[in-house]
Amino acid sequence: MRRHSRLWAALALPALAWLGVFFLGAILLVLALSFGTTDPLGNPVFAVDPSSYRTLMEPVYARVLVRSLLYAGAATALCAVVAYPVAYSIARYGGRFKNVLIAAVVVPFFANYLVRMYGWSALLADEGPVMRVVGWLPFGPERMVSTAAAVVGGLAYGFVVFMILPVYAALERLDPAVIEAGRDLYGSRLATFVTVTVPATRHGVYAGAVLTFLPATGDFVSAQFLGGPEQLMIGNLVQEKFFAGQDWPLGAALTVLLMAVLVLCTVGYVRQGVRREVS
Amino acid sequence: MKRGLVKSRLPFVVLGVFFLVLYAPIAAVVLFSFNAGKSLSAFSGFSLRWYREFFSDGALTGSVATSVQVAAVAMAGSVVLGTAMAVGASRVRGRFGAFAGFVTLIPLLTPEIVTGVASLLLFKGLGITPSLLTLILAEITFSVSYVAVILRARLAALNPEVEEAAMDLGATRWQALRLVTLPALAPVVLAAAILVFALVFDDFVLAAFTSGTDDQPLPVRIYSAMRFGIRPSINAVGTVMLAGSAVLIALALALPRLFGRRGTGLDLLSGE
Repeated sequence: MRRHSRLWAALALPALAWLGVFFLGAILLVLALSFGTTDPLGNPVFAVDPSSYRTLMEPVYARVLVRSLLYAGAATALCAVVAYPVAYSIARYGGRFKNVLIAAVVVPFFANYLVRMYGWSALLADEGPVMRVVGWLPFGPERMVSTAAAVVGGLAYGFVVFMILPVYAALERLDPAVIEAGRDLYGSRLATFVTVTVPATRHGVYAGAVLTFLPATGDFVSAQFLGGPEQLMIGNLVQEKFFAGQDWPLGAALTVLLMAVLVLCTVGYVRQGVRREVS
Repeated sequence: MKRGLVKSRLPFVVLGVFFLVLYAPIAAVVLFSFNAGKSLSAFSGFSLRWYREFFSDGALTGSVATSVQVAAVAMAGSVVLGTAMAVGASRVRGRFGAFAGFVTLIPLLTPEIVTGVASLLLFKGLGITPSLLTLILAEITFSVSYVAVILRARLAALNPEVEEAAMDLGATRWQALRLVTLPALAPVVLAAAILVFALVFDDFVLAAFTSGTDDQPLPVRIYSAMRFGIRPSINAVGTVMLAGSAVLIALALALPRLFGRRGTGLDLLSGE
């Protein structure tokens, strides 16, 4: 048995080694370069120099970080508010069309992200169909693009499927007998929903929140095509440092900052999950 | 009576509005790809001019070829590595399996921009100029995890007693794996391969960081075209990509069913 175990381990080893070099090794390099400097020609040089992190202390970077977290958080909340009724409608009323409906939710996610964002920005553009409808109304915003709402909406549009699937899975796993019990105890439809269904499926919402928040925080496409200079997110800064600015150590430090935030969120989520299993 | 109405109609309204918003941007891209005029908001008649412009643009069609090439090689590499990893890690005893599972998950939870920056720095550090090679290596790194996670879910659902029965009948462990487990796994491996192809073909963020200035894949080319102002031919390119993705996804979803599995294969997408 032991000998076989070694065989199986050998089977898993190439991929693990690959991930060790090309993923974990690469992440360590980001960490190392974030303490680097640039030579007079602009090339990155490894050193032990915290100056990139000192630069990050400047208020402009703090503002962008806070903005990214706010946008990603708002987009995650929006996803939850949209996804729950959608997942609930499919799970409870989908009947034999459940799988078709879930497929209809998932398929657009496989459409190219850029193309979807492009279509979204065309719809919201100043001359676009949405603004023409809004123009007839006696109230409403003067424009949609280059607003925080457009960026948050774009993020939510891009990642909502990551919220719907775990919430739907949680609702599907919920034993209908539990809901019947709530009804038997004279809970109204609404009371049963609020006190039984939602709490029993909240782990689905938590999982969905992590899955939407992580990519949303690092996204730069939404802010680029739907926002203006006032809506830039941390991903836009990273991209700028690497493509245009050429200040790679600062870009690496920004990436480390982004990773740190996300690791904290993930650890918080996992610990919360562990506590749930213990209790 | 009133409550009955609310009960029956509300889900339809919810789903109707949701799907309208979900598909409207995609529908707009498809519709305006056939627009005779240059406008992206006023439809002035049916025309194929933007498709003609796309197919006569050597840089764009070249990018399509590049993307196909990258997706095919990355698919092959990640399926081989990922399948071996999934089988090995699910069979191995002790903590190693859990560790391998954890390592596999990290790339999937890391935002793409972080992976992109990290890959770029690694290749620069190794002295490799960004090119087709670096792009393929980076795409494999991302896809290995994807394949391994999908297959481990399916391996966990397979009945281990069938493999044990094969060994009781005199098969060696390898024979049992090759003749029993892998055939049972084949449709899912194939479906995962198709999904990886679609994901790599569509990938933009990782590609933007790791591809060189020559041989840019299609999404990177589209991105630069979009940055220098919106061009109607992007709608045509986008529509072609949508059609390609739709065919691949339909294939991946149908595969497990064709091979007699119950379900729709949707669990592949959700990683259930």
